Amino acid sequence: MSKRYVGKDMLKVDAESKVTGRAQYPSDLKFDNCLHVKIKRATYPHAILKDLDINRAKNIDGVVDIITAKDYPNLNKFGLIIKDQDVLIKMGEKMKFMGDALAIIIAETEEIALKARDKIGVEIKKLEVITDPLRAIEKDAPPIHEDLSGLCTDYLKPNLNQKNILVDHYLKKGDVKKGFTEADLIVENEYRTQHIDQLPLQNESGYALYDDKKDEIKIWAASQWLHDTQADVAQSINMSKEKIRIIQTAIGGAFGKKEDVSVHIHLALAALHTQRPVKLEYTREESMIAQSKRHPLIIKAKTGVSSNGYLTAWSVEVIGDTGAYASSGPAVVHKGMYHCTGPYNVENIEGTSYAIYTNNTYGGAMRGFGTTQMAFAYESQMDILAHKLNIDPAQFRYQNAYITGSVTPNGQKLGKSVNTKRTIESVIDLAKWEGEINK
Amino acid sequence: MKKQSENVKDRPRTSGRDFKQYKYFRPKSKEELIRIINDFQKDLTIIAGGTDLLVANYQKLYEIKNWLDLNLLNEFKNIKMFDDKVEIGSMVTHQRLSKLDQIKELFPVLHQAAADVGSPQIRSRGTIGGNIVTSSPAGDLLPPLLIYDAQLKIISGEGSRVVDANEFFTGPKKNILKEGEILEKIIIPLKEEVYRGAWIKVGKRKALIISSISLALNLSIDRSNLIKKARICIGSAAPVPLRIKTAEQAILKKELTEINIEEIAQIVSEEISPIDDIRGTAKYRRQVALNITRKALSEVTNQ
Amino acid sequence: MKITLTVNGEKREVEVKPQTRLLDLLREDLGLTGTKEGCGKGECGACTVIMNNKLVASCLVLAVQADQSEILTIEGLNCQDELHPIQNAFINKGAVQCGFCIPGMIMSSKQLLDENINPTEAEIKRGLSGNICRCTGYVKIIDAVKEAAHKMRSRGEDDV
Repeated sequence: MSKRYVGKDMLKVDAESKVTGRAQYPSDLKFDNCLHVKIKRATYPHAILKDLDINRAKNIDGVVDIITAKDYPNLNKFGLIIKDQDVLIKMGEKMKFMGDALAIIIAETEEIALKARDKIGVEIKKLEVITDPLRAIEKDAPPIHEDLSGLCTDYLKPNLNQKNILVDHYLKKGDVKKGFTEADLIVENEYRTQHIDQLPLQNESGYALYDDKKDEIKIWAASQWLHDTQADVAQSINMSKEKIRIIQTAIGGAFGKKEDVSVHIHLALAALHTQRPVKLEYTREESMIAQSKRHPLIIKAKTGVSSNGYLTAWSVEVIGDTGAYASSGPAVVHKGMYHCTGPYNVENIEGTSYAIYTNNTYGGAMRGFGTTQMAFAYESQMDILAHKLNIDPAQFRYQNAYITGSVTPNGQKLGKSVNTKRTIESVIDLAKWEGEINK
Repeated sequence: MKKQSENVKDRPRTSGRDFKQYKYFRPKSKEELIRIINDFQKDLTIIAGGTDLLVANYQKLYEIKNWLDLNLLNEFKNIKMFDDKVEIGSMVTHQRLSKLDQIKELFPVLHQAAADVGSPQIRSRGTIGGNIVTSSPAGDLLPPLLIYDAQLKIISGEGSRVVDANEFFTGPKKNILKEGEILEKIIIPLKEEVYRGAWIKVGKRKALIISSISLALNLSIDRSNLIKKARICIGSAAPVPLRIKTAEQAILKKELTEINIEEIAQIVSEEISPIDDIRGTAKYRRQVALNITRKALSEVTNQ
Repeated sequence: MKITLTVNGEKREVEVKPQTRLLDLLREDLGLTGTKEGCGKGECGACTVIMNNKLVASCLVLAVQADQSEILTIEGLNCQDELHPIQNAFINKGAVQCGFCIPGMIMSSKQLLDENINPTEAEIKRGLSGNICRCTGYVKIIDAVKEAAHKMRSRGEDDV
């Protein structure tokens, strides 16, 4: 452990610029001759786009142009792990959640862009809106992504609707059957968590500029994955990576929400299209509608314990609502499952997890990446078990806690820095816990 | 990849500044105000503190044609003390109400409710008049005004009228104001009796929160220690701030120690008509109504 | 419409539309981008400025309403190279993370300390109740306000 910094007060290099208001966040930049961009979004969470009438909007004085999928028919889909998200919804194709973009409005002022956006006519054919992942995996549920398949493994139960399952994962450690046979008490519960917006204080926002001398697009917008964003923008608009520059400004919070592409591709298109500087800033409402959320998980946990309070088996099924797009979903739901037992030692574990497409806003990364949802489930299980066994809940946790040499559900042997017991001891002190624990 | 679409129009002639005729009126006197109302009453958008209006019209403020801003009407910002009443101008802010000692002394429930509105940033702009005219069932000043038997003076081009605050609200964000009418002031009668009051606001946070439910209570105690008048009003649990008259009746002519707190709490919980919304379920509100009525009555009986 | 106001001690004459918010006037017309927009609805406090010695959310005030007023923004807090004690305290106490809430937090702290130079922790919390920090750096922000109050009190004593 570095003695130079750890435990010492360090002054942050950017603090002075931030307490004086000089730090420049994306929306604080200024470009002469700048155009304003707004996005017309889906009018229904699951529907086929039948017609898009942009004429009235285009005729408003000050509207420079309105870009639809028709203008750029060769755009590629984008996404953090799986490229399943449309830059613009094509005619005859589906909008899959309320954040899907139908048109990019470019105008001389923000006000004109807003007026034009509201003048765009949208005709749709409504489809069944799937908001419950349990409905999505029923055999007769309509597929949300018709063109995606083959991601499921051979282990998938045959009674589930493959079409809406983005990925499935399995976990096995020891012999769970044996573990439950050895148990004196088994507790089984279902836990559900909700969508949570990361809500960084600064909304998604940025500028872009096309440099015709270098044939290069510069984008000033926050990203948590600078190079991935660069590559994703480049592939989506068929340009080489060298031609896309992402310039990181100060970031007004992200907490996972800015891992996904937001304003970047639309800005790049608008800059290329108009050859003028362009600005796009989401409203808070738009940020909530169009960008990722913490995944809601349905966690079915079954835990076996011996009468003297040692965990013998744990099985878990995790159903993650990834919403309309994959984003970080495959990784979040997967990781969540691996954390099914938290910091507690269990010899016999079995787990299944699914990330499921619905018409909800897509789930992405947020502080903890799937583990916080799981904590709600395993800590609740631990409390319920302790209560039923009539053991002090602190003691129950302590005697099951990881120690050096413990093996995690995914088979990692913990070699060093295993401080679970020390942490519990500190908590007992700090909380002035009245129970006694046997160390 | 095509670079520049052929259909990009030439730079338009708009300056990006003014492409529509707007009017912004800032009357300095009542006479000027009346004149503007008479001329424009159909198309006026009235702004007091703006803390509701600017939220409701976020990103579409440009749609508002004719603004009528009451902020320069100094005579609407007065608080006048008389022997038998206090007059509070409709443009008095929550901040002033929550900082004035006289208000604290005479109408502690109103004082406390004003201090619980929004945040410092909201209290510095939001006004008592705005709170009343917006007529949200969750308006924090409304239950306190009802328990103090406040009256509202309304003016228009045709004259003026005074109505009981209790008669003013007709539904969520609805009231008896007609087009061209403006709330000038709030008149609260002063009585000789001793007041015992309580204010409880319940929301998901301690600050900057719209009430899930609120309670204002005021009991007037006469010389023989009997309750001469009782007022219990619940906010956010019905289409309008609701006085629970059955409960009020049940308290009358008793000494404080004789109040059957459980009975009154039960009545309050039953007589409200809450709905499920994002701030809480109807069931939750009934339970909380019970709890806060108990709490408020225990507070006043122990004062 | 033409309005006149004093911003950070400087008299400004500007042309505004009725729907222009004070926030837009400061950021767009006057280039004072230290004042931030986080929600546009008075919930987050990132746009907080001091107007006529009162704390306001500049997203909920029309520019016209600032006619003849005196406005203080984060840019007006430090004179030249010298930081205001509140700014220093925010740096020293590690109260700054992403920084987006900080200008608003500092303006609320300033108003609070102008009214009450010796606030209790509860009073600090109430004074900052209109400002959200999503990095959840509240503990250090409150520490910073306490330190600033302490410094400002002893500085005041020095003056005497």
